[in-house]
Amino acid sequence: MTLKYLVAGTLGAAMLSSTAFGAAHEAQGRDGNVNIIFWQAASTMNPYLSGGTKDINAASMALEPLAHYDENGAMVATLVDEIPTVANGGVSEDLTSITWTLSEGITWSDGTPLTSADVVFTANYCMDETGGCQQLAKFGGVTSVEAIDDLTVKITFDGPKPFPYGPFVGSTTPILQAAQFANCMGTAAPTCTDQNFGPIGTGPFTVTEFRANDAISLAANPNYRVAGKPAFATVNFKGGGDAAAAGRSALETGEFDYAWNLQLAPEVLADMESAGIGTVLTSYGPLVERLMINMTNPSADLGDERSTVAHPHPFMSDMAVRQALSMAIDRPLLVEIGYGKAGKVTCNVLPSPAIYNSPNNAGCEVQDIAGANALLDAAGWEMGSDGVRAKDGVRLSILYQTSTNAVRQDFQALIKQWWAEIGIETELKNISGGVFFGGDQSSPDTFQKLFADLEMYANNFDGTDPEAYMRNWSCAEIPSPENAWLGGNMPRHCNADYDALVAEMGGTADINERARLAIAMNDMLMQSYTIIPLVHRGNVSGIANTLEGVKLNAWDAELWNIADWSRAE
Amino acid sequence: MLNFTLRRLVFTVPTLLLISFIIFLILDLAPNDPTGNLPLTIPPEVRANIRASLGLDDPMYWRYILWCQQFFVNEPLNLLNQWFGWCVGDCENRLRVTSWATRSPVVDLIAERMPQTLWVVGMSYVVGILIALPIGVISAYKQYSWFDQAGTFVAMIGFSVPTFFTGVLLIVIFSVWMPNDSVFWLPSIYDTTHKVTDWGSFVFQMRQMVMPVMVLALYNAAQISRFMRASMLDNLSQDYVRTARAKGLKEKTVLLVHVLRNSMIPVVTVIALGIPQVFGGAIITEQIFKVNGLGQLLIIGIEGADIPLVQTLTFLFAVLIVMFNLVADVLYGLLDPRIRYD
Amino acid sequence: MLDDEKKPLVQVKNLKMHFPIYRGILKRQVGAVKAVDGISFDVFEGETLGLVGESGCGKSTVGRCVLRLYEVTEGSIDIDGTNIATLSGAELRAKRPQMQMIFQDPQASLNPRMTVGSIISEPLDEHKNMSKDEKREKVGELMDAVGLARRFADRYPHEFSGGQRQRIGIARALALNPKFIVCDEPIAALDVSIQAQVVNLLEDLQEKFGLTYLFISHDLSMVRHLATRVAVMYLGRLVELGDSETLYMTPKHPYTQALLSAVPHPDPAQAGNIDRVILEGDVPSPANPPPGCTFSTRCPRAQPICKQDSPEWTEIGEGHFAACHFIE
Repeated sequence: MTLKYLVAGTLGAAMLSSTAFGAAHEAQGRDGNVNIIFWQAASTMNPYLSGGTKDINAASMALEPLAHYDENGAMVATLVDEIPTVANGGVSEDLTSITWTLSEGITWSDGTPLTSADVVFTANYCMDETGGCQQLAKFGGVTSVEAIDDLTVKITFDGPKPFPYGPFVGSTTPILQAAQFANCMGTAAPTCTDQNFGPIGTGPFTVTEFRANDAISLAANPNYRVAGKPAFATVNFKGGGDAAAAGRSALETGEFDYAWNLQLAPEVLADMESAGIGTVLTSYGPLVERLMINMTNPSADLGDERSTVAHPHPFMSDMAVRQALSMAIDRPLLVEIGYGKAGKVTCNVLPSPAIYNSPNNAGCEVQDIAGANALLDAAGWEMGSDGVRAKDGVRLSILYQTSTNAVRQDFQALIKQWWAEIGIETELKNISGGVFFGGDQSSPDTFQKLFADLEMYANNFDGTDPEAYMRNWSCAEIPSPENAWLGGNMPRHCNADYDALVAEMGGTADINERARLAIAMNDMLMQSYTIIPLVHRGNVSGIANTLEGVKLNAWDAELWNIADWSRAE
Repeated sequence: MLNFTLRRLVFTVPTLLLISFIIFLILDLAPNDPTGNLPLTIPPEVRANIRASLGLDDPMYWRYILWCQQFFVNEPLNLLNQWFGWCVGDCENRLRVTSWATRSPVVDLIAERMPQTLWVVGMSYVVGILIALPIGVISAYKQYSWFDQAGTFVAMIGFSVPTFFTGVLLIVIFSVWMPNDSVFWLPSIYDTTHKVTDWGSFVFQMRQMVMPVMVLALYNAAQISRFMRASMLDNLSQDYVRTARAKGLKEKTVLLVHVLRNSMIPVVTVIALGIPQVFGGAIITEQIFKVNGLGQLLIIGIEGADIPLVQTLTFLFAVLIVMFNLVADVLYGLLDPRIRYD
Repeated sequence: MLDDEKKPLVQVKNLKMHFPIYRGILKRQVGAVKAVDGISFDVFEGETLGLVGESGCGKSTVGRCVLRLYEVTEGSIDIDGTNIATLSGAELRAKRPQMQMIFQDPQASLNPRMTVGSIISEPLDEHKNMSKDEKREKVGELMDAVGLARRFADRYPHEFSGGQRQRIGIARALALNPKFIVCDEPIAALDVSIQAQVVNLLEDLQEKFGLTYLFISHDLSMVRHLATRVAVMYLGRLVELGDSETLYMTPKHPYTQALLSAVPHPDPAQAGNIDRVILEGDVPSPANPPPGCTFSTRCPRAQPICKQDSPEWTEIGEGHFAACHFIE
């Protein structure tokens, strides 16, 4: 009797433990094959020879950088134990060097150990003048990369770098194996077809067949550093076709598990998603569709001083007017009409990465026509008999320009209607994108000249660090005839406090401190209504419902965490 | 005939050289930049560096001579080396025509694409011909019958409705609407890495070929069936057909031996002239079904300003066109005893 | 003149061949071209019946109908006692060897992709059970018979001259030992110098093989030379039929008279004495023939009755028929 219970109990415990620990110790490759479709086919697996998103994503399955950016834009250690900072001594006090220490015991897919020599080799490979490296900009300012010991690499810059994470952070600059690419330096780079098509990496998968501009077959890397990962044994990375076909294959026919970059009309995507086979996920980078208010007078009567700081705008300089313009806009409706799942309402011009997203400007989501009217009434703008407000002979009549694009023209029409409801007259103008963004000195219609009362377009920045982006709205960046209309400060925003924050950020290395400064700058712009954000635009991808673990990422390769993907039960 | 063929072959050499130069010139004049598709975040000096590494700073004539040397000398030598193991000169470091986008030899890319293009586009051509010939024959024999009218209608549809419409229509019907477990369900995306090893994988290969092959076959059949019909009608009204009937031959013999054989002469040459298009791939259909054959390779090359790839592919197409023109002429001479070239 | 013991090999009764005309989107039949509109005649064994008329009068159609190369609209065609107008496919094919045709255009009527030998031997493959050597011998004999060198058997039709091609056509027609041959303008496409050779060949062959000819031609002099009897056709109908000499010397029908008066006289000195009958106007369309006598629109002797009643086909002399209201 006792023995029987004992045996039963032990058996039960064994079964319990096997289920409890099973998840953690399940074998690599248990979930079979995963199908990924990129409608732009990958042409190489070496991101140093092709900067295309498709190639970087393909390579990210086999090659890894020292650190990745996660879905929020935060750095996560990949081949190192921790991200070097000034606090942990990894970044020198004078901000001129950064020292990375590789984790111990990491091996390449061929079983040989990863060493600092590989990192040094990769840097030299890209920085070779004759090789035509496409990621050279990431190595800007680097004077030397040296191996301190087998696992330690020191990167030295030509001056202080408050954000020294250009080289080897993110999938654009992964580590190549020195042994494999030794003969591929400089002019020999293009001759290394076998290496470029089948690089040996530390990533979760290795290439088994590479068909350029077509399909790539990969198999799980048996030497991958995390036990039990990846869950998939093989990857079929197919290329070709168009966004609609890719979307259909993942959302309607179920042939593929992951379809990249579905730039489709909102109703088309919604229709595909309604088949119930897959879901549309969106990742948000820093791309924001916004209105730029002209704080200076664009009147043609001013000749050469048109839209320069010499003449403040007759009514836009009144903050009540700017605030009323913002309050009258129904942002959720704009998102629904223009972008669907590929956009969301934002009240910040710097909505991401997450740590830079200001929590202080909520409330713009709700349209408030009555509030806007009340605000203008209080400010003394009286409704005229023609339905347009005026004060001291100045009528609220606006010229609103943007580039030619179906969604933007829809936005213009809607916004004009809302503004009419608060007594503001709007004249619409659209300019061909080539001219608007072209920067031609002789054209009066460029977005820098801004010969209008306000304009609408979208902009973003490269990488995760907003320092250069926020610097755009300092006094020095105002476009004018003196600087040949160069500069990114379209609203002609000029504020000494703002410029002080910009200067402070240029000397601050701590990431949290940098975030505080960026948020302060963003709030300054938002609360003065100099820039009116409309829609935070994202990238959409289709994911089959049976695929788990996908974390869409706007800051790194979308496939950055493919090692964590698995098949749902 | 042999003299004629040899004479024509000799003439093709300067023709093709001229064509290669014209292609090179056009590509060089095209406002295309191989760094144009790179992300905007890559700065101009890096782009200049990339262009220099691709040899774009060299003068045009020099790049043309280089291409000629790579294509006409190095590539054939490399083939000799690969096929027979013969090594002439420096086998290891011979400079081959290299694609800018993939940094791999263009000829290898083309060889990699050849199987799926021949399987799908070639099969569609064969299927198209097999459909077209009987339709053309019956349509002509029963001129203005309901069969002829239906054939005319189908040919009109096949010819005028673009393949991107018929292709997507088939996908919607057989991949989207059809339940995935149905035997009639067909894959909408062609798996180029699929290998036929047994009966099951062969069936899968057939299934994934059905839609692209049928879309293209309909288009090809439309054209060829009209040729066949017209040619049959031409011959059916000839006196020798009446002679054949007067001989007391069976109607089948009259139709198949007398009329069909004579009608096939122009049709066979039309078919021969169409073969280069098979190698050229069917750009649109390949895109729709993701067959990724030679047509898609060319399109990607054009989009990415991959000049060595585009130059080599278009030149190979030119060679095929010139060759099959010759083949068509020779075939005509062989089939029609009235034509003699010497 | 006519030998009473001769029996008719071919009897054509009330033959009609109407080709339907379709018009409009729905292709409805809106009328018919009455190419042959009720003609009757006999061809006696061993004779040559000439069939003459202007271009477009339907004489070639008659020839083709008689051999059932067209599906006739109405009437019967008895050849050697069998009405071939109603025979089914297989029976008709079995009958084919007895009746053959020599075509006008020797180039177009020979399959360009077949050698002379195979053109001639093809009917043998179809109808006779002969060995290869027998066939080769038979082809040789036929080529001898028509005056072609045997070595030409492996050549293609386009390598021959017009006269030679017509000889091939004749050899082909003779292959199955037919009794009855329709010669549809066999010399019209040939040079004048060659015409006589071919006609002489036809005569020789008739004698040698005991052939019966229906000789269709617009060449009146050639028909007079060759034919035993002559039938004259106008707009789908026969207008006169009679013994060759009688018809040429004393034509009764005004159309025959007009036709014969147009024949160039061999002696230019006498040519001026001939009383030429010049016909006015064009031949009416066979799709819409005039009422009454079809010739009434152009007849120099036409009376009101001609526009109303169709004249009867009456025997006006021994074996001499004509269709006219005013034959004395």
